[in-house]
Amino acid sequence: MRALGPLAHEISLVLRGLNETHMKELFTIALLTGSLPLLAVDFNRDVRPILSDTCFKCHGPGKAEGDLRLDDREDALDAGVLSPGNVEKSEVVARLKSDDPEELMPPPDAHKTLTPEQIQILETWIAEGAVYDEHWSLVPAKRDVTIKSLDHFIDKRLAEEELKPTPEADQRTLIRRVTLDLTGLPPTPEEVEAFVKDSSPEAYGKLVDRLLASEHYGERMALAWMDAARYGDTSVMHADGPRDMWPWRDWVIKAYNTNMPFDQFTVEQLAGDLIPNATVSQKIASGFNRNHATSDEGGAFPEELRVEYVADRVQTTANVWMGLTMECSQCHDHKYDPISQKEYFQFFAYFNNTTDPGMQTRDGNQAPVVEVPDEARTARLAELHKQIEDSEQKLEAHRANSATTPEFAAWLKQVEEGASIDGQEKQPAGLVHWFPIEASAQDFRDGVSGSTVTAEKGKFEVADREGSEVLKLNGNTQFKTDAPVNLEYNKPFSFSVWLKPDGKASGAIFSRMDDKAAYRGFDLWMEGGRIGTHIVNTWQENALKVVSTDSLAPGKWQHLVLSYDGSHKAAGVKIYLDGKLSSNEVQADSLSATIATSEPFRIGSRSTGSNWKGELGELRIYDRVLEGADVGAASKGDPVKSILTTPAGQRSESDRRVLLARYLGTADQIFKKLGEARQKVLKQHADLDRKPVTSMVMQDNPDNKMRMTYILERGAYDSPRKDQALQPGVPKALPPMPANAPANRLGLANWLIAPNHPLTARVAVNRYWMIFFGEGLVRSVGDFGAQGTSPTHPELLDWLALDFVESDWDVKRMIKQLVSSNAYQRSSRLESLHRDRDSENELLARAPRFRLQGEFIRDQALAISGLLNPEIGGAGVKPYQPVNIWNEVSLNGGLRYPQDKGEKLYRRSMYTYWKRSSPMPNMLIFDAPSREKCVIQRQRTNTPLQALVTLNDPQFVEAGRAFAQRILQSAETDPDKRIDLGYRLATARPAAQREIEILTKLLEENRARFRENPESAKQFLATGESPRDESIDAIEHAAWTVVAQTILNLDESLTRN
Amino acid sequence: MNYFDPIIENRRQFLLRNGNGLGAAALSTLLNPGLLGSALGGEMPAYGGLPSIPHFPGKAKRVIYMFMSGGPSHIDLFDYKPIQRDLHGTELPDSVRQDQRLTGMSSGQNSFPCVAPMFEFGKFGEHQTWVNKDLLPHTAGIVDKITIMKSLHTEAVNHDPAITFINTGSQQQGKPSLGSWLSYGMGTMNENMPGYVVMISRGRGQLQALYDRLWGSGFLPAKHQGVKLRSAGEPVLFLKNPEGFGRDARRGQLDSLKELNELNYDKFADPETQARISQYELAFRMQAEVPGLMDIEGEPDHVKELYGPQVDKPGSFARNCLLARRMAEKGVRYIQLFHRGWDQHGSLPSKITQQCEDIDQPAAALIKDLDQRGMLDDTLVVWGGEFGRTIYSQGQLTKDNHGRDHHGRCFSMWMAGAGVKRGFEYGKTDDHSYNIIENPVHIRDLNATILDRLGIDHRKLTFKFQGLDQRLTGVEEEAHVIKDILG
Repeated sequence: MRALGPLAHEISLVLRGLNETHMKELFTIALLTGSLPLLAVDFNRDVRPILSDTCFKCHGPGKAEGDLRLDDREDALDAGVLSPGNVEKSEVVARLKSDDPEELMPPPDAHKTLTPEQIQILETWIAEGAVYDEHWSLVPAKRDVTIKSLDHFIDKRLAEEELKPTPEADQRTLIRRVTLDLTGLPPTPEEVEAFVKDSSPEAYGKLVDRLLASEHYGERMALAWMDAARYGDTSVMHADGPRDMWPWRDWVIKAYNTNMPFDQFTVEQLAGDLIPNATVSQKIASGFNRNHATSDEGGAFPEELRVEYVADRVQTTANVWMGLTMECSQCHDHKYDPISQKEYFQFFAYFNNTTDPGMQTRDGNQAPVVEVPDEARTARLAELHKQIEDSEQKLEAHRANSATTPEFAAWLKQVEEGASIDGQEKQPAGLVHWFPIEASAQDFRDGVSGSTVTAEKGKFEVADREGSEVLKLNGNTQFKTDAPVNLEYNKPFSFSVWLKPDGKASGAIFSRMDDKAAYRGFDLWMEGGRIGTHIVNTWQENALKVVSTDSLAPGKWQHLVLSYDGSHKAAGVKIYLDGKLSSNEVQADSLSATIATSEPFRIGSRSTGSNWKGELGELRIYDRVLEGADVGAASKGDPVKSILTTPAGQRSESDRRVLLARYLGTADQIFKKLGEARQKVLKQHADLDRKPVTSMVMQDNPDNKMRMTYILERGAYDSPRKDQALQPGVPKALPPMPANAPANRLGLANWLIAPNHPLTARVAVNRYWMIFFGEGLVRSVGDFGAQGTSPTHPELLDWLALDFVESDWDVKRMIKQLVSSNAYQRSSRLESLHRDRDSENELLARAPRFRLQGEFIRDQALAISGLLNPEIGGAGVKPYQPVNIWNEVSLNGGLRYPQDKGEKLYRRSMYTYWKRSSPMPNMLIFDAPSREKCVIQRQRTNTPLQALVTLNDPQFVEAGRAFAQRILQSAETDPDKRIDLGYRLATARPAAQREIEILTKLLEENRARFRENPESAKQFLATGESPRDESIDAIEHAAWTVVAQTILNLDESLTRN
Repeated sequence: MNYFDPIIENRRQFLLRNGNGLGAAALSTLLNPGLLGSALGGEMPAYGGLPSIPHFPGKAKRVIYMFMSGGPSHIDLFDYKPIQRDLHGTELPDSVRQDQRLTGMSSGQNSFPCVAPMFEFGKFGEHQTWVNKDLLPHTAGIVDKITIMKSLHTEAVNHDPAITFINTGSQQQGKPSLGSWLSYGMGTMNENMPGYVVMISRGRGQLQALYDRLWGSGFLPAKHQGVKLRSAGEPVLFLKNPEGFGRDARRGQLDSLKELNELNYDKFADPETQARISQYELAFRMQAEVPGLMDIEGEPDHVKELYGPQVDKPGSFARNCLLARRMAEKGVRYIQLFHRGWDQHGSLPSKITQQCEDIDQPAAALIKDLDQRGMLDDTLVVWGGEFGRTIYSQGQLTKDNHGRDHHGRCFSMWMAGAGVKRGFEYGKTDDHSYNIIENPVHIRDLNATILDRLGIDHRKLTFKFQGLDQRLTGVEEEAHVIKDILG
C-alpha cells in the first residue's frame, strides 16, 4: 500500500472547500495529466477493495442489513453513518474500532478483520469527503492520444518509484523467449544464429513478424483459448463419453492464423449460427457454447441438467468476455457487483432458447450438429469406393469363369455322389435368394447370387437353432447387401424364414425400402407380435399393408411363410405361422405402381431405423407363391441337397447358381480371398462413411416455440417464478442494448463488441498481457468486479483497450505491440533491489521469468529431439499413457486407453485426446486444468511429480534418446562441441566451459557404468516406439541419452527466461 | 500435492490471498515448518499449509476415508427396524414419499412395494446396536468403537452430482476436493510422501464412474490434488526410473543437474530455480520411500490375518486398508480409499453380499489395527457412500430378489477415532428409513465435522476465487459441526 504523505493531507485541505463534482474532476485531471504524484486516496484503487471484501456482503448490492448499503453513497448518507469530511461523526469508523463485540463491524463471526492501515485509509477517505467513484471497470476507458508507446506508462511508474529497470535481454534469450511465447516451440539453432547475426534495427521486428506468420502461432493462441472455452474430447458427466469438437478447435487455430479480428471472433463464437445465411464455418464457431459438460446419467432430471448447461454458458460468456462473476447472482443478487438476480436471468434468457436437450448422448455428438466438410475424407471415400468396385469386378469375373472350370465340375461330381434326401426334404422351386450362415460363422452371403452381406450397424453375431447357426439382431444391428432382391408389385413372391422374436416390439425383420421416399419398397414387418408386410409405392395412398391376426410367441422358434400373388391386392397376401394359415387384417389396399428403390436389401431394419430385435435363420425368397406342401418344405431341408438330387438336366438356372455359390463359398480358396479383400475395403468404407465428421453447434428454437425464461427461486430449476416471464436483457450497470438489436445471442454478441462497452476490450487485452507477461495488468484476470484486483497500470490498460478497439480489434497487431515493448524485452535477472521493493514484479522493472506450461515442455522436448510431428489440426491423438488410467475410473471399468502408434505419438500436446474425467496425467501434473469448467488463469506450481514426469515418463525418456541420437548423428564429433550443440538446441545459447566440464564428467561416469553392464544400456534405450539408429554404439548412445536428458531437465530448459 | 517448497509457490499464493498487508511474522511462520508440528502437539513435523491453521487444537492428525462408491443400502446394512418385516410387500404410502422426486430409473414404476432386508439383523455391543449380522459380522464386532450416523442427507440423487457433492462440497465440477483443501490448509507431515493419496478397489457390482475431480484440486494449486497410489505397475505414476537406469545412476545425474542449475541461479537469481532443485531432490527421496510403503512383506502374519485373506491380492480393498494404515503411520495426512460397485438397482441381495464380503473384515480390521497401535486417538476414520437406497423395490420384488433405487433423503455412514464417540448412534429415520425424523446431518455438516477434528474451523478455511471466499462447506448454506457425536 502506498504511503499517504503529508502532501495528500494538504491537497485534501485545499479541496475541502470545493464541492464533490469539482473535486472529482480535479482529481481526474491530476491523474490523467500526471502533473501531480499519485498520493491521494483513490476510491477504486484503495477504498472499494476494503469495503467490498469486508462490508458489501451484508451492506452491498445483494443485501442491506439494518437498511444500510455501503456501496451507494446516497444510501450511506441517508442512513447517517457517513459524514463526509468528518471522521469523528462517521459511525462507520466508530463501529470499525469498537471494543464492544455487539457493536463491532465486521461482526466477529464474519471472520473478517480490518488492519489499522485499512482503517486509516477509510478515515482519510472520509476526511477527504467520502467520494464514491463508479467501479473502474464499468466506466468507459479513456486515454491520452498523445502517448505513443506502452512503455511510457511502465517507465513512468518506475521513475516514480525510482526503480531502474534491467537492461535489454541478450539476443539469444530474446529469440527463445519470443519464439516460445508466440509459438510454444523453441527456436532452431539456425534461427538463433541468423537472428544474432542480424544487427539491423529491424531484426527483432522481422523476427516477430515471422513468428506471427507461423501456423504454430495459431496453435499457441488456441491452446490458451481452449482453457477458457472448456474444450474437451469427452462429455464430462457420468459416462464421460466421446464427442468430436475438434473442428471447433481447428476453427480457432485458423481464426488466429488468419488474424480474424477479435470482434468477429466474438460474434461467430457466441452467435455464428444466428448470422444471416451462416456458413458452415460460422456454425462450427458457435460450438464455443457447446463445449460445456453434459450428462447422460439414466436417472437424471433432464430439465435440471438443461438449466445447468445454460448456467454454464452464462458463467463462461461473462467470465471470458467481461471478467464478471455473473454466476454469483444465479441464486440471489450479486453481493459485490451490480448484478441482480433478475438481471442474471435476463442474461440467461439469451442462452435459454437453444434446442439441445438436457439428457445428452454418451456416444458422439449430440444434436444440433453441423456436418464438417472434410476434403481428405471425401477423397478417401472415393478411393475406397473405387477399390470396392475393383474387388467386385474381380469377384464377378472369377464367378463367371468358375461355372465352367474343371475344379467346379470335379467338386460337383464329388458332392453329387454323396447326396441323398428323403422325399420330405425336396425343396420348392423358385428360390431366388437365400441367406444361410455357414457353419464357420465367418461368412454371410446370399447363397444364390453370392452377394456379400455387410454389417451396417452393430456387429455380426450368431446364435443357434437346433444345431444350425442363425443371425442375432439386438435391436440396433442391421445388415445390408447388394443382392439383387428385385421384387415388384405386379409379380408374385414368397418369404420363408425362421424367427425367434425377443419380445412383441415392432420392427422390420428385413426390407428393401426407402423411408425418405414415402417408404417405397417392401418389408417383412412385426407389429406387437403379429406379422405382416408393407408393399409400397407411396405410403399411404399407393400401398398395401396386411398384418396377420395370429401372433408369434416371444422367445420361441417359429417358422413363417408370407406369399404374395402379384395381384396388387391385399387379398393376394397369405401368411402361415408354423405352417398354419392365419387370417389377416388389411390396413392398406391401394397399390398400383412400382415399388422399386435404389436402397439396398437390409436385414434387421428399414433404411432409417425400425430395427427388429430377435433371432432369424434360413431366410429364403422365392419368385412364386408358396402354398400347400411347399410351405412346410421350405421350413426344413437344405436347398443344395435338394438340387443335387435333382437330375442335372432338370436343374433350373437358379439351381445352378445355388450350386456354384455353395462351391465358391465353401471350396474355392481364390474366391474366399477375393471375398475377404472385398470385405476389408467394404468395412473401411463403412467405418468412414458411417460417421461423417460433425461438430456440435448452437441452435435456437424458432420464434413461435421460444422457451420462456423466469427467475428461478434460489437458482433451482424446479422453482421458476412463473408470474413474471423475462425478456432477454443486459445488466443496467452496463451500456444499454441498442433498441433495434435482435433480442437474441447475435444482439448480445454485438453489444459486447460495441466500442462503448467498458469491459470487453479491457478484459481481452488483459488476457493477452497475461500470456506474454505471466500475469495480467489486472491480476485477477477472470474477475474485473469489486472483489477483483485493481489494475497495476490503469491508464495503460485503458490505453491498450482503446487502441485495440480503434485498430478494429487487430489481434496480431496488439500482440506485436506487447512483445515489441521494452518491458517485454528486458532481462529477467532478479536484482536484489527489485526483489526487496517489488517481489511480485508488478512494476515490470524486469521481465517475468516462469516455467513453461506443461504442453510446451513436452512439445519442446519433441522439437529438440527431432521427434515432433508438426501437423496442424485434426482430431485428438492418444500418445503414451500409463496403463489402466481409464479403466480404473470408467463406468463399468471396461474402458481401455487405445494408445496410438507411429507419428501420432509425437503430435503437439494440444492435440492430446482430452478425457475430462481422467485427463492425461503428465499434463495434469503440470497444472493443466481438467477443462470441465472455464479456466481463465492457470496455476503455475513446482512439484516433485513434475520432476518425475520429465525424468521418467516414456515420452521424455524417448525424447532424451532421440535427442542424443540427433547430437551423435550431427556433424560434430568433438565431445565438447556435442555438448555445446545440446545446449544450443535446448537453451538457444552455447554451453559455458564449466557446463561442458560437468556434463563431460557425467558422460564419462555413464559410459563406464553402461560398459560394465552393456545389457542395461540396451534396456535404457528400449523406451519408446521410434526406431533407434542401430549403427550407433549402444553404450555411447545410452551415455549420451543421460546427458541429453539432463539438458532437457535444466531449469533453464523448463523456463521461459 | 503438498510438498513444501521453501519460497515460491506458497509465498505467491499467500501474497495473493492476503493482499499487501503481509506481516513478516506470518511469512516466517510459513517458512518455518517446525512451528506447525508443535502446534499440533505431536511429534510429526508439518510442511506447507497455512500459518493460521490449526485454528484450535485438533484431535486428528490425519483422516482415512473409506468411500463406498455407488450408494450402499442403509436399510440393508445399518438403518434397520423390525417393523419393516411387517411393511414388506406393502405399497410405499404417499404420506411417506410426499413429493419426493424419483430418479428416472424408477419414476415410471406404477407400484412401489416396500422391501424388508432379506438378511438377519442382530443387536451388538454395549448399546445393542442393530447391524446386519449376515453381511457385516466384523463390523458388528467394532460397534463399540464407532459412531453410526443414520441421518445423512444430500440434495443429489444421481451418481455424478452426488459423488461430486460429497467429495468436493458442490454438485458442480471445478471445486477442490476435501483432501486438497486439507493439503492446502495443513500441508503434509512427511515431505517425501504425497500428503493426499487415493487408492481405488474395484468391487464386484455395477461400477459407477469415478472422476479425477473427486480428488482434484479445482481452483487450488495443482500440487494439492490427490495422488493415486496404484496396485499394479508403478505405485505412483512415473515413479520408476527407466529400465537400465538405476538409483545410483540417477543420483549421479541429479548431482550434475543440481550443479548446472546452481550456475543458472547465479545468473538469474530466481528463487524458483532453487525450488526446482529441491523438488528434484524430493522426487528422488520419494522414489525410495513410496515403494517400501506399498510392500507389505514385512507385516506380521497376525496383522495380515486381521485384514482377511484378500489382503494378499494387490488392488483389493483389504490390501488398500492395510496400506492405508501404513501410510497413516508415515504421516500421510489424508488417505482416501474408493471401493466401487455399490449401485444395486437389481439383484441386491446377492450383490450386496459380495460387496460386504470384500469390505467388512478389512474395514473392521483397520479400526482394530489402529486402535491396537494407539493411533485411533488421532486418526479420524470415515465410512460411507454418496447416498442411500430406497425402501421400495426397483423392478420386480420376488421371494428372494429385488433392487433398490438411489435415495438421498437419508443414508447411513460411520465414523471413528479422533474423539468421535465410541459405541454411539446418531440421527433417526422413520419406519420406512425414508425420511429423517431426528438430527439431520447434511453432507456439509459431515465435512465441517471432519475439518473440526483436524482443528480447522470450516468457516475460516477459505480461498479467494472469482471474487468469493470459497469454502469446502460452501459460501451460502451454513454448515454445523455435529457436536453431539464428539466425546
